[in-house]
Amino acid sequence: MAAMGQLVFDEFGKPFIILRNQDKKRRIVGIEALKSHIMAAKNVYNTLRTSLGPKGLDKVLVGPDGDVTITNDGATIMQEMRPSHEIAKLMVELAKSQDDEIGDGTTSVVVLAGALLEQAESLLDKGIHPIRIADGYEMAAALAVKHLESIAESLTFSKDNVGALTDIASTTLGSKVVNRYRKELAKIAVEAVLSVADLEHRDVDFELIKIVTKVGAQLEDTMLIKGVLVDKDMSHPQMPKEIKDAHIAILTCPFEPPKPKTKHKLDVTTVEEYQKLREYEKQKFEQMVQQVKDAGANLVICQWGFDDEANHLLLQRELPAVRWVGGPEIELIAIATGGRIVPRFEELSKAKLGFAGSVKEISFGTARDRMLVIEGCPSSRAVTVFIRGGNKMIVDEAKRSIHDAICVVRNLVKDPRVVYGGGAADISCANVVAEAADKVPGLEQYSYRAFADALEVIPLALAENSGLNPIEAVSEVKARQIKEKNPRLGVDCMHKGTNDMKEQCVVEALIGKRQQILLATQLVRMILKIDDVRLPGEKED
Amino acid sequence: MAPAPIFLAFASGDNDVRGKQLVISNINACQIVADAVRTTLGPRGMDKMMVDSNGKAVISNDGATIMKLLDVVHPAGKMLVDIAKSQDAEVGDGTTSVVLFAAEFLKQVKNFIEEGVHPQVIIKSFRKATELAVEKIKELAIKVRKDDVAGLRSVLERCASTTLSSKLLSANRDFFSKMAVDAVMVLDELLPLDMIGIKKITGGNLEDSLLVSGVAFKKAFSYAGFQMQPKHFKNPLISILNIELELKSEKENAEIRVENVEEYQKIVDAEWQILYDKLQSIHDSGAKVVLSKLPIGDVATQWFADRDMFCAGRIPIDDLKRIQKSCGGSMQTSAQKLTKEVLGTCGDFEERQVGGERYNFFTECPLTKACTLVLRGGTEQFIDEMERSLHDAIMIVRRALKHDAVVAGGGAIEMELSKYLRDFARTIPGKQQLIISAYARALECIPRQLCDNAGFDSTNILNELRQKHAQGAKWFGINVFTEGIADNYAACIWEPSLVKINALTAASEACCQILSVDELIKHSKGGNEYEAPDALPGRGRGRPG
Repeated sequence: MAAMGQLVFDEFGKPFIILRNQDKKRRIVGIEALKSHIMAAKNVYNTLRTSLGPKGLDKVLVGPDGDVTITNDGATIMQEMRPSHEIAKLMVELAKSQDDEIGDGTTSVVVLAGALLEQAESLLDKGIHPIRIADGYEMAAALAVKHLESIAESLTFSKDNVGALTDIASTTLGSKVVNRYRKELAKIAVEAVLSVADLEHRDVDFELIKIVTKVGAQLEDTMLIKGVLVDKDMSHPQMPKEIKDAHIAILTCPFEPPKPKTKHKLDVTTVEEYQKLREYEKQKFEQMVQQVKDAGANLVICQWGFDDEANHLLLQRELPAVRWVGGPEIELIAIATGGRIVPRFEELSKAKLGFAGSVKEISFGTARDRMLVIEGCPSSRAVTVFIRGGNKMIVDEAKRSIHDAICVVRNLVKDPRVVYGGGAADISCANVVAEAADKVPGLEQYSYRAFADALEVIPLALAENSGLNPIEAVSEVKARQIKEKNPRLGVDCMHKGTNDMKEQCVVEALIGKRQQILLATQLVRMILKIDDVRLPGEKED
Repeated sequence: MAPAPIFLAFASGDNDVRGKQLVISNINACQIVADAVRTTLGPRGMDKMMVDSNGKAVISNDGATIMKLLDVVHPAGKMLVDIAKSQDAEVGDGTTSVVLFAAEFLKQVKNFIEEGVHPQVIIKSFRKATELAVEKIKELAIKVRKDDVAGLRSVLERCASTTLSSKLLSANRDFFSKMAVDAVMVLDELLPLDMIGIKKITGGNLEDSLLVSGVAFKKAFSYAGFQMQPKHFKNPLISILNIELELKSEKENAEIRVENVEEYQKIVDAEWQILYDKLQSIHDSGAKVVLSKLPIGDVATQWFADRDMFCAGRIPIDDLKRIQKSCGGSMQTSAQKLTKEVLGTCGDFEERQVGGERYNFFTECPLTKACTLVLRGGTEQFIDEMERSLHDAIMIVRRALKHDAVVAGGGAIEMELSKYLRDFARTIPGKQQLIISAYARALECIPRQLCDNAGFDSTNILNELRQKHAQGAKWFGINVFTEGIADNYAACIWEPSLVKINALTAASEACCQILSVDELIKHSKGGNEYEAPDALPGRGRGRPG
């Protein structure tokens, strides 16, 4: 059967063509297709397995242009791997969708899916129909998720009591390269989310959190700015470097004489007229500056530029200005300072100005680049996380790590239920599923057991990456969980001497874990259901 | 390397295949095409993955989708693709069945052709058999009373669930069949399909998918100032526009000659005034939410933000139409004379985070003649397949609502028809008898395939079914979940009768057409490459020289 798709002969011995370019297409069918898919998935999963957990290792990825990325983040690794195999691509998407939805646990989801497929392979060898395997997995997943919900504990926190949130954020950061400094970063992440969160609606708008990176200094210098950081400096070097109690005019019109949008032409025929034009322009500048002054502003932030003449004039009139500020920043500044974006000078008024306690230009080391920090705003609904670090790779990785941490905190704001990490939740689910397996009539029983085995892969990998004897560590925890009926027991990755994850403060958001199980099962079902693959052949050129 | 294949002899110019040989050759080609979708049938059917030359993969269980992507060039094979497509357009489901029927009909008559039976005789008998089968379906079908609301609903849900059982969604089919029915119930009598919007957001659990009885769409591209607009309204007035609200030159080709510099300011002021007039008139109309098909620029965004209004530009026209349908109001192409009458309204407007995206939701609409399905799922391919499956389910519900008669699925109706035609064949003399029994035998291909796909012993199960049907148990079909047979009407595996009627008619018509061809003349431009004419897409098509 497998050779079909190439050439077909009819009764008279003549080949006939049914599909376009039929002789070049490749086709894999039946169990062979499934096996090849599982193989591909296993490859991906083996790559990611070792980056799981606090002692997991990073991967170096060299892009096609020679750019180097060092990361521990599952989604980033997957994306940078750029696999060409279809199934591997699906795994990439899987990691991505976990990243989009939850932002964390991307490695785990891929590892779980890989483990499920690996288990499915041996079931296929037993001759079980792939769809029945998938059905069994789905039933087991439903059971596991139900169990997760029953062991989940609700977290209490408020704007003032953030201890619990910080613990979780630092668990997330634990597996990253920045873990040396994770307490502080976790605090930053929590504070950032809580300052923009709408706790009533349980909504967090990520557009209000900006992450800015700058190579240099140390990771310890990373800070949270309750305001906006703009990668710009004052338009004139002699303008003041710091402004207290800044009243900011936020303009989206250029500092230049107004121009109609309609195509126009002005013929200058005499010298007098030319003089008049010069005069007019100058007068316009004066007028504009005056309008700004009249409104009471002592700082102008402009989306567009202005020429040197205007710049000089602004300096003369003691009106500091910033030019070429991008749209998103303008918006953030407006939100933070409570100002309104003003599209033309005529509309400037006192009420439309934004207010900031201080606007400061900061410079870094010996480098000449400066940044503008706008702080002390009346509504701190826009915040900026400013990341420093020794080199670009560290900074990039720190950015990804903080993003993960922020996502985790966001998830908890949305749903404050948590389960215990360190493989505790996985082992607990595995126990429940394995127990249920014996009660399931029919072939699905096998899938249940396979599912339970696959769930144990995460704690196994955790233990292995932490240098423990995986089988020993996991089976010990498993036995204790059953004996003590304590779903909080996990693998002691940090060698702290206790297996109780509550004491170690290793927790994960329930929705994150739940999502992992569901997404992985979904993908596995999809892969198991394919029995026929048609690939385009090698291109001729 | 084997000698280069002779591209279909009849395509290469020398017509040495004709008559009987051509018919047989066509029949063989159809078998191979049908093989591509054979294993997708039923709850244990498998999916196909197709990768196109750009490396984009499609994973599907939908017969029509697979056939379309196969890129069949064989003329007879193409006919099967066409009937799958037409089944998809007409009924929306049963696309695999129709292809299987056609292929099986052809397979059954191949022997007769070889033995020299004239195709016309076969065609005549086929027409007769189809006619009888269709009548029988109509007779057997169980009518649903429309006045019984709860009853109708459960019928619809079961039909949808039968369709979904063979798809990726089968584990959640109860959830999604309810969703499909809810979606269709929202629509007005004409059941326009485009009033059901389908939005796909990757990530999330399948059951996080939701039906918005109203409209939802992704946050449009926004300019600075957007974040300052309020994102939540109760009972807002909505104005739907087709105007560009941007500062721009009003006329494309206009040119102004400025006499002296003072006039500059006047012109600029005039330009601003034009925009401000528009904005003011929108504001005066009382609208709180402004939607436009065309872009809304930064000035307008900020202007609206100042007045606590919400605006979104570049909204796809389909979404706007749905908003019109559910919120009332009409699309305005001018900002002049905006009155309350042309504005729509809804109970609740909100921007919310869904997965990684922000979405605008319009709910509690007064008219609610439109709805939006927000689908969630792991990967893009997964959601795509979800969309196709739900599309099938929605089509089935629509069809079932219009033609409120159902038959039992799972091979039950096919077995009953097969029995009926077999019995009938014995009452007539002549060659027709043979051919109608062949037709009857061909109908059994669906239950057989269902068994094969599930890995059951098809011969055994078919024999059991035949026995049951001979005893008069007309709704017995395959129960895939218990590996046996069961009364599928009682088991609630229902399909609209129209699906079967359409499938049988289309399949037998396609067969008749394939059988009646005895010569194929192919114009090949230039060389004798089979693909040559199609290899240059769009060449000379619809373009006057």
